[in-house]
Amino acid sequence: MIAGVCSGIAERLGIDPIIVRLAFLGATMLSGAGLLAYALAAVFLPSAQGDRLWTRFSGGRGSLEIAVGAGLLALSGVLLLRATGWWFSDAIVWPAVAAAVGGALIWHQFTAAPGDGTAATAPLDQEAQAEGAKPSFLRGRALSKIGLGIALVLGAALMFLWANGALSAAGDAVLAATVVVVALGLIFAPLWWRLGRNLATERGERIRSQERAELGAHLHDSVLQTLALVQQRAGNPREVAALARRQERELRAWLQDRPSARTGDSLAAALGAVAADVEDAHGGAVEVVTVGDCALDPAADAVLGAAREAILNAAKFAGAAGPIDVFAEVTPASIEVFVRDRGPGFDPNVIPVDRHGVRESIIGRMERHGGSASLRAGAGGGTEVELSVGRTAG
Amino acid sequence: MGRRVADVTSLTAGVVIGALGVLLLLDNLEAIDMKFAHLAPAVTATAGAILLARGLSRSRER
Repeated sequence: MIAGVCSGIAERLGIDPIIVRLAFLGATMLSGAGLLAYALAAVFLPSAQGDRLWTRFSGGRGSLEIAVGAGLLALSGVLLLRATGWWFSDAIVWPAVAAAVGGALIWHQFTAAPGDGTAATAPLDQEAQAEGAKPSFLRGRALSKIGLGIALVLGAALMFLWANGALSAAGDAVLAATVVVVALGLIFAPLWWRLGRNLATERGERIRSQERAELGAHLHDSVLQTLALVQQRAGNPREVAALARRQERELRAWLQDRPSARTGDSLAAALGAVAADVEDAHGGAVEVVTVGDCALDPAADAVLGAAREAILNAAKFAGAAGPIDVFAEVTPASIEVFVRDRGPGFDPNVIPVDRHGVRESIIGRMERHGGSASLRAGAGGGTEVELSVGRTAG
Repeated sequence: MGRRVADVTSLTAGVVIGALGVLLLLDNLEAIDMKFAHLAPAVTATAGAILLARGLSRSRER
Protein backbone atom coordinates (compact mmCIF):
# COMPACT_ATOMS: atom_id res chain seq x y z
CA MET A 1 0.00 0.00 0.00
CA ILE A 2 2.93 2.31 0.61
CA ALA A 3 5.66 1.14 -1.75
CA GLY A 4 4.04 -2.14 -2.86
CA VAL A 5 6.67 -4.32 -1.13
CA CYS A 6 4.23 -6.70 0.62
CA SER A 7 2.02 -7.20 -2.44
CA GLY A 8 5.11 -7.75 -4.61
CA ILE A 9 6.53 -10.39 -2.26
CA ALA A 10 3.11 -12.04 -1.94
CA GLU A 11 2.70 -12.18 -5.71
CA ARG A 12 6.17 -13.68 -6.07
CA LEU A 13 5.50 -16.32 -3.39
CA GLY A 14 1.92 -16.94 -4.48
CA ILE A 15 0.38 -16.17 -1.09
CA ASP A 16 -2.12 -13.64 0.24
CA PRO A 17 -0.62 -10.13 0.72
CA ILE A 18 -2.32 -9.93 4.15
CA ILE A 19 0.03 -12.69 5.43
CA VAL A 20 3.13 -10.76 4.32
CA ARG A 21 1.74 -7.50 5.78
CA LEU A 22 1.07 -9.20 9.12
CA ALA A 23 4.59 -10.66 9.11
CA PHE A 24 6.11 -7.20 8.51
CA LEU A 25 3.84 -5.67 11.18
CA GLY A 26 4.80 -8.36 13.70
CA ALA A 27 8.52 -7.90 13.01
CA THR A 28 8.10 -4.12 13.40
CA MET A 29 6.29 -4.42 16.74
CA LEU A 30 8.77 -6.93 18.12
CA SER A 31 12.06 -5.22 17.40
CA GLY A 32 11.53 -2.61 14.71
CA ALA A 33 13.33 -4.85 12.23
CA GLY A 34 10.24 -5.06 10.04
CA LEU A 35 10.35 -1.33 9.32
CA LEU A 36 14.02 -1.52 8.39
CA ALA A 37 13.42 -4.60 6.21
CA TYR A 38 10.50 -2.83 4.48
CA ALA A 39 12.61 0.26 3.77
CA LEU A 40 15.50 -1.83 2.40
CA ALA A 41 13.13 -3.93 0.26
CA ALA A 42 11.45 -0.78 -1.09
CA VAL A 43 14.82 0.59 -2.13
CA PHE A 44 16.52 -2.52 -3.48
CA LEU A 45 13.77 -4.82 -4.85
CA PRO A 46 12.72 -4.10 -8.43
CA SER A 47 9.12 -3.11 -9.14
CA ALA A 48 6.80 -4.93 -11.52
CA GLN A 49 8.02 -2.58 -14.26
CA GLY A 50 11.63 -3.56 -13.54
CA ASP A 51 12.71 -0.20 -12.11
CA ARG A 52 13.98 0.44 -8.59
CA LEU A 53 13.00 3.09 -6.08
CA TRP A 54 16.01 5.31 -6.65
CA THR A 55 15.10 5.63 -10.35
CA ARG A 56 11.98 7.52 -9.20
CA PHE A 57 14.26 10.26 -7.87
CA SER A 58 15.49 11.06 -11.36
CA GLY A 59 12.68 13.30 -12.51
CA GLY A 60 9.07 12.60 -13.33
CA ARG A 61 5.92 12.69 -11.24
CA GLY A 62 6.38 12.83 -7.49
CA SER A 63 10.18 12.82 -7.59
CA LEU A 64 10.46 16.08 -5.61
CA GLU A 65 8.13 14.83 -2.85
CA ILE A 66 10.01 11.52 -2.66
CA ALA A 67 13.37 13.26 -2.40
CA VAL A 68 12.22 15.78 0.23
CA GLY A 69 10.28 13.13 2.18
CA ALA A 70 13.23 10.73 2.24
CA GLY A 71 15.50 13.61 3.24
CA LEU A 72 13.19 14.62 6.12
CA LEU A 73 12.99 11.01 7.33
CA ALA A 74 16.78 10.76 7.25
CA LEU A 75 17.01 14.08 9.13
CA SER A 76 14.59 12.84 11.76
CA GLY A 77 16.80 9.76 12.21
CA VAL A 78 19.85 11.99 12.68
CA LEU A 79 17.98 14.20 15.19
CA LEU A 80 16.79 11.11 17.06
CA LEU A 81 20.34 9.74 17.28
CA ARG A 82 21.49 13.13 18.61
CA ALA A 83 18.69 13.21 21.21
CA THR A 84 19.49 9.69 22.42
CA GLY A 85 23.24 10.31 22.73
CA TRP A 86 24.37 8.17 19.77
CA TRP A 87 26.33 11.06 18.37
CA PHE A 88 29.83 11.77 17.14
CA SER A 89 30.02 15.53 17.12
CA ASP A 90 28.09 18.53 15.79
CA ALA A 91 31.30 19.60 14.06
CA ILE A 92 31.28 16.44 11.94
CA VAL A 93 27.65 15.41 11.43
CA TRP A 94 26.03 18.71 10.35
CA PRO A 95 28.71 19.56 7.74
CA ALA A 96 28.40 15.96 6.50
CA VAL A 97 24.60 16.33 6.22
CA ALA A 98 24.91 19.64 4.32
CA ALA A 99 27.60 18.19 2.03
CA ALA A 100 25.45 15.10 1.35
CA VAL A 101 22.42 17.24 0.39
CA GLY A 102 24.55 19.50 -1.83
CA GLY A 103 26.29 16.52 -3.43
CA ALA A 104 22.94 14.83 -4.08
CA LEU A 105 21.63 17.98 -5.80
CA ILE A 106 24.68 18.24 -8.06
CA TRP A 107 24.71 14.48 -8.74
CA HIS A 108 21.01 14.53 -9.63
CA GLN A 109 21.49 17.30 -12.18
CA PHE A 110 24.23 15.44 -14.00
CA THR A 111 22.79 11.91 -13.88
CA ALA A 112 19.03 12.38 -14.19
CA ALA A 113 17.37 10.60 -17.12
CA PRO A 114 17.46 12.59 -20.33
CA GLY A 115 14.15 14.07 -21.34
CA ASP A 116 12.82 14.81 -17.86
CA GLY A 117 13.45 18.49 -18.42
CA THR A 118 15.72 18.90 -15.41
CA ALA A 119 18.73 16.80 -16.34
CA ALA A 120 22.01 18.37 -17.29
CA THR A 121 22.50 15.61 -19.84
CA ALA A 122 19.09 16.09 -21.43
CA PRO A 123 19.43 16.44 -25.19
CA LEU A 124 18.85 19.79 -26.77
CA ASP A 125 15.52 20.19 -28.43
CA GLN A 126 15.53 20.63 -32.19
CA GLU A 127 15.08 24.36 -32.12
CA ALA A 128 17.91 24.79 -29.66
CA GLN A 129 20.08 22.44 -31.71
CA ALA A 130 19.39 24.40 -34.84
CA GLU A 131 20.50 27.55 -33.07
CA GLY A 132 23.56 25.88 -31.61
CA ALA A 133 22.18 26.98 -28.26
CA LYS A 134 23.76 26.33 -24.88
CA PRO A 135 23.17 22.96 -23.19
CA SER A 136 20.36 22.57 -20.65
CA PHE A 137 22.62 22.54 -17.56
CA LEU A 138 23.46 26.16 -18.33
CA ARG A 139 19.80 27.14 -18.21
CA GLY A 140 17.42 28.37 -15.49
CA ARG A 141 16.28 25.68 -13.07
CA ALA A 142 19.15 23.24 -13.56
CA LEU A 143 21.71 26.01 -13.10
CA SER A 144 20.05 27.24 -9.89
CA LYS A 145 19.96 23.68 -8.47
CA ILE A 146 23.62 23.09 -9.30
CA GLY A 147 24.43 26.49 -7.76
CA LEU A 148 22.51 25.59 -4.59
CA GLY A 149 24.33 22.22 -4.43
CA ILE A 150 27.74 23.89 -4.81
CA ALA A 151 26.83 26.47 -2.14
CA LEU A 152 25.79 23.70 0.27
CA VAL A 153 29.01 21.72 -0.28
CA LEU A 154 31.18 24.85 0.12
CA GLY A 155 29.15 25.90 3.16
CA ALA A 156 29.62 22.44 4.67
CA ALA A 157 33.38 22.66 4.11
CA LEU A 158 33.52 26.14 5.72
CA MET A 159 31.35 24.94 8.63
CA PHE A 160 33.64 21.97 9.20
CA LEU A 161 36.78 24.14 9.13
CA TRP A 162 35.23 26.77 11.42
CA ALA A 163 33.96 24.17 13.92
CA ASN A 164 37.41 22.56 14.06
CA GLY A 165 39.32 25.86 14.35
CA ALA A 166 41.10 25.49 11.02
CA LEU A 167 39.31 28.27 9.16
CA SER A 168 42.07 30.91 9.34
CA ALA A 169 44.77 28.52 8.11
CA ALA A 170 42.49 27.29 5.34
CA GLY A 171 41.65 30.92 4.51
CA ASP A 172 45.28 31.63 3.61
CA ALA A 173 45.40 28.59 1.33
CA VAL A 174 42.06 29.54 -0.26
CA LEU A 175 43.27 33.11 -0.85
CA ALA A 176 46.44 31.85 -2.58
CA ALA A 177 44.45 29.40 -4.69
CA THR A 178 41.94 32.14 -5.60
CA VAL A 179 44.71 34.44 -6.79
CA VAL A 180 46.17 31.67 -8.98
CA VAL A 181 42.74 30.76 -10.39
CA VAL A 182 41.91 34.41 -11.19
CA ALA A 183 45.28 34.87 -12.91
CA LEU A 184 44.81 31.69 -14.95
CA GLY A 185 41.24 32.75 -15.75
CA LEU A 186 42.41 36.12 -17.09
CA ILE A 187 44.95 34.36 -19.30
CA PHE A 188 42.80 31.50 -20.61
CA ALA A 189 39.25 32.91 -20.48
CA PRO A 190 39.32 34.33 -24.05
CA LEU A 191 40.63 30.99 -25.35
CA TRP A 192 37.93 29.03 -23.50
CA TRP A 193 35.22 31.41 -24.66
CA ARG A 194 36.38 31.13 -28.27
CA LEU A 195 36.64 27.33 -28.02
CA GLY A 196 33.13 27.11 -26.62
CA ARG A 197 31.74 29.35 -29.36
CA ASN A 198 33.49 27.33 -32.07
CA LEU A 199 32.13 24.07 -30.63
CA ALA A 200 28.58 25.47 -30.57
CA THR A 201 28.92 26.71 -34.15
CA GLU A 202 30.34 23.40 -35.32
CA ARG A 203 27.55 21.50 -33.58
CA GLY A 204 24.91 23.70 -35.20
CA GLU A 205 26.53 23.21 -38.63
CA ARG A 206 26.66 19.45 -38.17
CA ILE A 207 22.99 19.32 -37.19
CA ARG A 208 21.98 21.49 -40.15
CA SER A 209 24.05 19.32 -42.49
CA GLN A 210 22.34 16.16 -41.20
CA GLU A 211 18.93 17.76 -41.60
CA ARG A 212 19.78 18.75 -45.19
CA ALA A 213 20.91 15.18 -45.92
CA GLU A 214 17.69 13.77 -44.43
CA LEU A 215 15.61 16.22 -46.45
CA GLY A 216 17.54 15.36 -49.63
CA ALA A 217 17.13 11.61 -49.04
CA HIS A 218 13.39 12.01 -48.45
CA LEU A 219 12.88 14.16 -51.55
CA HIS A 220 14.84 11.63 -53.59
CA ASP A 221 12.78 8.72 -52.28
CA SER A 222 9.42 10.40 -52.73
CA VAL A 223 9.13 13.37 -55.06
CA LEU A 224 11.88 12.46 -57.54
CA GLN A 225 10.66 8.87 -57.81
CA THR A 226 7.12 10.05 -58.45
CA LEU A 227 8.30 12.55 -61.08
CA ALA A 228 10.18 9.73 -62.83
CA LEU A 229 7.00 7.64 -62.84
CA VAL A 230 4.99 10.62 -64.12
CA GLN A 231 7.39 10.92 -67.06
CA GLN A 232 7.07 7.19 -67.80
CA ARG A 233 3.27 7.32 -67.74
CA ALA A 234 2.71 10.71 -69.34
CA GLY A 235 0.29 9.12 -71.83
CA ASN A 236 -2.15 8.09 -69.10
CA PRO A 237 -3.59 11.23 -67.45
CA ARG A 238 -5.67 9.32 -64.86
CA GLU A 239 -2.69 7.35 -63.63
CA VAL A 240 -0.57 10.52 -63.51
CA ALA A 241 -3.28 12.27 -61.49
CA ALA A 242 -3.46 9.31 -59.07
CA LEU A 243 0.33 9.37 -58.64
CA ALA A 244 0.24 13.12 -57.96
CA ARG A 245 -2.53 12.75 -55.36
CA ARG A 246 -0.71 9.94 -53.57
CA GLN A 247 2.53 11.94 -53.53
CA GLU A 248 0.69 15.00 -52.23
CA ARG A 249 -0.84 12.99 -49.37
CA GLU A 250 2.52 11.47 -48.48
CA LEU A 251 4.31 14.82 -48.59
CA ARG A 252 1.67 16.52 -46.43
CA ALA A 253 1.89 13.68 -43.87
CA TRP A 254 5.67 14.03 -43.80
CA LEU A 255 5.53 17.82 -43.43
CA GLN A 256 3.09 17.47 -40.52
CA ASP A 257 5.28 14.76 -38.95
CA ARG A 258 2.55 12.13 -38.76
CA PRO A 259 2.61 8.53 -39.99
CA SER A 260 0.77 7.78 -43.20
CA ALA A 261 -2.66 6.19 -42.76
CA ARG A 262 -1.56 3.00 -44.51
CA THR A 263 1.56 2.26 -42.51
CA GLY A 264 0.37 3.26 -39.03
CA ASP A 265 2.93 2.58 -36.32
CA SER A 266 4.17 -0.91 -37.24
CA LEU A 267 7.39 -1.64 -39.13
CA ALA A 268 6.01 -4.92 -40.53
CA ALA A 269 2.84 -3.19 -41.79
CA ALA A 270 4.91 -0.36 -43.25
CA LEU A 271 7.20 -2.80 -45.10
CA GLY A 272 4.12 -4.56 -46.51
CA ALA A 273 2.71 -1.22 -47.66
CA VAL A 274 6.01 -0.26 -49.28
CA ALA A 275 6.12 -3.61 -51.12
CA ALA A 276 2.54 -3.09 -52.36
CA ASP A 277 3.36 0.45 -53.52
CA VAL A 278 6.41 -0.74 -55.46
CA GLU A 279 4.44 -3.58 -57.04
CA ASP A 280 1.73 -1.10 -58.10
CA ALA A 281 4.22 1.38 -59.50
CA HIS A 282 6.73 -0.89 -61.21
CA GLY A 283 5.06 -4.29 -61.61
CA GLY A 284 6.80 -7.50 -60.64
CA ALA A 285 6.49 -9.26 -57.29
CA VAL A 286 7.88 -8.30 -53.90
CA GLU A 287 7.72 -11.04 -51.26
CA VAL A 288 8.00 -9.80 -47.69
CA VAL A 289 8.73 -12.02 -44.68
CA THR A 290 8.97 -10.40 -41.24
CA VAL A 291 9.98 -11.98 -37.95
CA GLY A 292 9.02 -9.79 -35.00
CA ASP A 293 7.73 -6.23 -35.18
CA CYS A 294 8.24 -2.85 -33.56
CA ALA A 295 6.88 0.69 -33.56
CA LEU A 296 8.11 3.14 -36.17
CA ASP A 297 10.62 4.95 -33.99
CA PRO A 298 13.40 6.97 -35.69
CA ALA A 299 15.66 3.90 -36.10
CA ALA A 300 12.87 1.78 -37.59
CA ASP A 301 11.84 4.69 -39.80
CA ALA A 302 15.40 4.95 -41.14
CA VAL A 303 15.47 1.21 -41.91
CA LEU A 304 12.09 1.53 -43.61
CA GLY A 305 13.27 4.44 -45.79
CA ALA A 306 16.46 2.61 -46.78
CA ALA A 307 14.57 -0.65 -47.43
CA ARG A 308 12.08 1.23 -49.59
CA GLU A 309 14.91 2.62 -51.70
CA ALA A 310 16.56 -0.82 -51.99
CA ILE A 311 13.26 -2.44 -53.05
CA LEU A 312 12.65 0.37 -55.57
CA ASN A 313 16.13 -0.10 -57.08
CA ALA A 314 15.60 -3.84 -57.27
CA ALA A 315 12.20 -3.36 -58.95
CA LYS A 316 13.57 -0.85 -61.46
CA PHE A 317 16.74 -2.68 -62.44
CA ALA A 318 16.00 -6.34 -61.71
CA GLY A 319 12.22 -6.60 -61.39
CA ALA A 320 11.86 -8.55 -64.62
CA ALA A 321 14.36 -11.21 -63.49
CA GLY A 322 12.12 -12.65 -60.80
CA PRO A 323 10.50 -11.82 -57.46
CA ILE A 324 12.27 -9.56 -54.99
CA ASP A 325 12.74 -11.13 -51.53
CA VAL A 326 12.53 -8.93 -48.44
CA PHE A 327 13.33 -10.50 -45.08
CA ALA A 328 13.07 -8.41 -41.90
CA GLU A 329 13.97 -9.53 -38.39
CA VAL A 330 13.22 -7.40 -35.34
CA THR A 331 14.80 -8.37 -32.02
CA PRO A 332 14.96 -6.40 -28.76
CA ALA A 333 18.54 -5.47 -29.67
CA SER A 334 18.41 -4.74 -33.39
CA ILE A 335 16.50 -4.46 -36.64
CA GLU A 336 17.85 -6.23 -39.72
CA VAL A 337 16.39 -6.14 -43.23
CA PHE A 338 17.67 -8.03 -46.28
CA VAL A 339 16.52 -7.12 -49.81
CA ARG A 340 17.57 -9.59 -52.52
CA ASP A 341 16.89 -9.50 -56.25
CA ARG A 342 17.72 -11.90 -59.08
CA GLY A 343 19.06 -9.33 -61.55
CA PRO A 344 22.49 -9.06 -63.15
CA GLY A 345 24.03 -7.32 -60.10
CA PHE A 346 26.15 -4.14 -60.13
CA ASP A 347 29.28 -2.64 -58.62
CA PRO A 348 28.39 0.05 -56.03
CA ASN A 349 31.84 1.66 -56.52
CA VAL A 350 30.98 2.79 -60.04
CA ILE A 351 27.84 4.74 -59.10
CA PRO A 352 28.11 8.37 -60.30
CA VAL A 353 28.57 10.96 -57.52
CA ASP A 354 25.35 12.79 -58.41
CA ARG A 355 23.22 9.64 -57.90
CA HIS A 356 21.86 9.75 -54.38
CA GLY A 357 19.83 6.52 -54.31
CA VAL A 358 22.36 4.08 -52.84
CA ARG A 359 24.86 6.56 -51.42
CA GLU A 360 22.49 8.85 -49.48
CA SER A 361 19.08 7.18 -49.26
CA ILE A 362 20.50 3.82 -48.19
CA ILE A 363 24.08 3.99 -46.85
CA GLY A 364 24.04 7.64 -45.66
CA ARG A 365 20.61 7.31 -44.05
CA MET A 366 21.60 4.17 -42.11
CA GLU A 367 24.89 5.70 -40.93
CA ARG A 368 23.15 8.90 -39.75
CA HIS A 369 20.99 6.73 -37.47
CA GLY A 370 23.91 4.69 -36.11
CA GLY A 371 23.34 1.69 -38.35
CA SER A 372 25.01 0.20 -41.39
CA ALA A 373 24.17 -0.87 -44.93
CA SER A 374 26.11 -3.20 -47.17
CA LEU A 375 25.63 -4.38 -50.75
CA ARG A 376 26.96 -7.65 -52.08
CA ALA A 377 26.39 -10.24 -54.77
CA GLY A 378 23.58 -12.63 -53.87
CA ALA A 379 24.18 -16.36 -53.45
CA GLY A 380 22.33 -17.26 -56.66
CA GLY A 381 23.21 -14.11 -58.60
CA GLY A 382 21.62 -10.68 -58.26
CA THR A 383 22.26 -8.21 -55.47
CA GLU A 384 21.64 -8.41 -51.74
CA VAL A 385 21.29 -5.28 -49.59
CA GLU A 386 21.72 -5.77 -45.85
CA LEU A 387 20.45 -3.07 -43.47
CA SER A 388 21.12 -3.20 -39.76
CA VAL A 389 20.54 -0.80 -36.87
CA GLY A 390 20.59 -1.21 -33.08
CA ARG A 391 17.56 -0.46 -30.94
CA THR A 392 17.75 1.63 -27.78
CA ALA A 393 14.72 0.03 -26.14
CA GLY A 394 12.95 -3.23 -26.59
CA MET B 1 -19.12 -3.72 -7.46
CA GLY B 2 -15.61 -2.23 -7.77
CA ARG B 3 -13.08 -2.66 -5.01
CA ARG B 4 -12.33 0.55 -3.11
CA VAL B 5 -8.73 1.65 -3.26
CA ALA B 6 -7.35 3.51 -0.25
CA ASP B 7 -5.74 6.92 -0.76
CA VAL B 8 -2.22 6.14 0.45
CA THR B 9 -1.37 9.78 1.16
CA SER B 10 -4.44 10.38 3.33
CA LEU B 11 -4.00 7.03 5.09
CA THR B 12 -0.33 7.70 5.88
CA ALA B 13 -1.06 11.27 6.95
CA GLY B 14 -3.85 10.05 9.26
CA VAL B 15 -1.70 7.39 10.88
CA VAL B 16 1.43 9.50 11.45
CA ILE B 17 -0.45 12.61 12.62
CA GLY B 18 -2.52 10.40 14.92
CA ALA B 19 0.69 8.91 16.34
CA LEU B 20 2.13 12.41 16.85
CA GLY B 21 -1.10 13.44 18.58
CA VAL B 22 -0.87 10.46 20.93
CA LEU B 23 2.72 11.45 21.85
CA LEU B 24 1.69 15.06 22.55
CA LEU B 25 -1.30 13.87 24.61
CA LEU B 26 0.89 11.57 26.69
CA ASP B 27 3.31 14.47 27.24
CA ASN B 28 0.42 16.72 28.27
CA LEU B 29 -0.78 14.08 30.73
CA GLU B 30 2.80 13.90 32.00
CA ALA B 31 2.91 10.21 31.19
CA ILE B 32 6.08 10.85 29.22
CA ASP B 33 8.59 13.73 29.25
CA MET B 34 8.71 15.13 25.72
CA LYS B 35 11.56 17.58 25.17
CA PHE B 36 12.20 19.64 22.05
CA ALA B 37 15.05 17.27 21.15
CA HIS B 38 12.49 14.46 20.96
CA LEU B 39 9.68 16.50 19.41
CA ALA B 40 11.81 17.79 16.51
CA PRO B 41 12.56 14.35 15.00
CA ALA B 42 8.93 13.28 15.49
CA VAL B 43 7.60 16.33 13.61
CA THR B 44 10.25 15.96 10.89
CA ALA B 45 9.48 12.25 10.48
CA THR B 46 5.74 13.04 10.25
CA ALA B 47 6.26 15.54 7.46
CA GLY B 48 8.75 13.22 5.73
CA ALA B 49 6.43 10.21 5.83
CA ILE B 50 3.51 12.21 4.38
CA LEU B 51 5.64 13.67 1.59
CA LEU B 52 7.17 10.27 0.79
CA ALA B 53 3.76 8.60 0.61
CA ARG B 54 2.44 11.38 -1.62
CA GLY B 55 5.48 11.19 -3.90
CA LEU B 56 5.32 7.39 -4.19
CA SER B 57 1.61 7.39 -4.97
CA ARG B 58 2.05 10.14 -7.58
CA SER B 59 4.95 8.31 -9.21
CA ARG B 60 2.72 5.27 -9.75
CA GLU B 61 -0.03 7.32 -11.38
CA ARG B 62 -0.18 7.00 -15.16
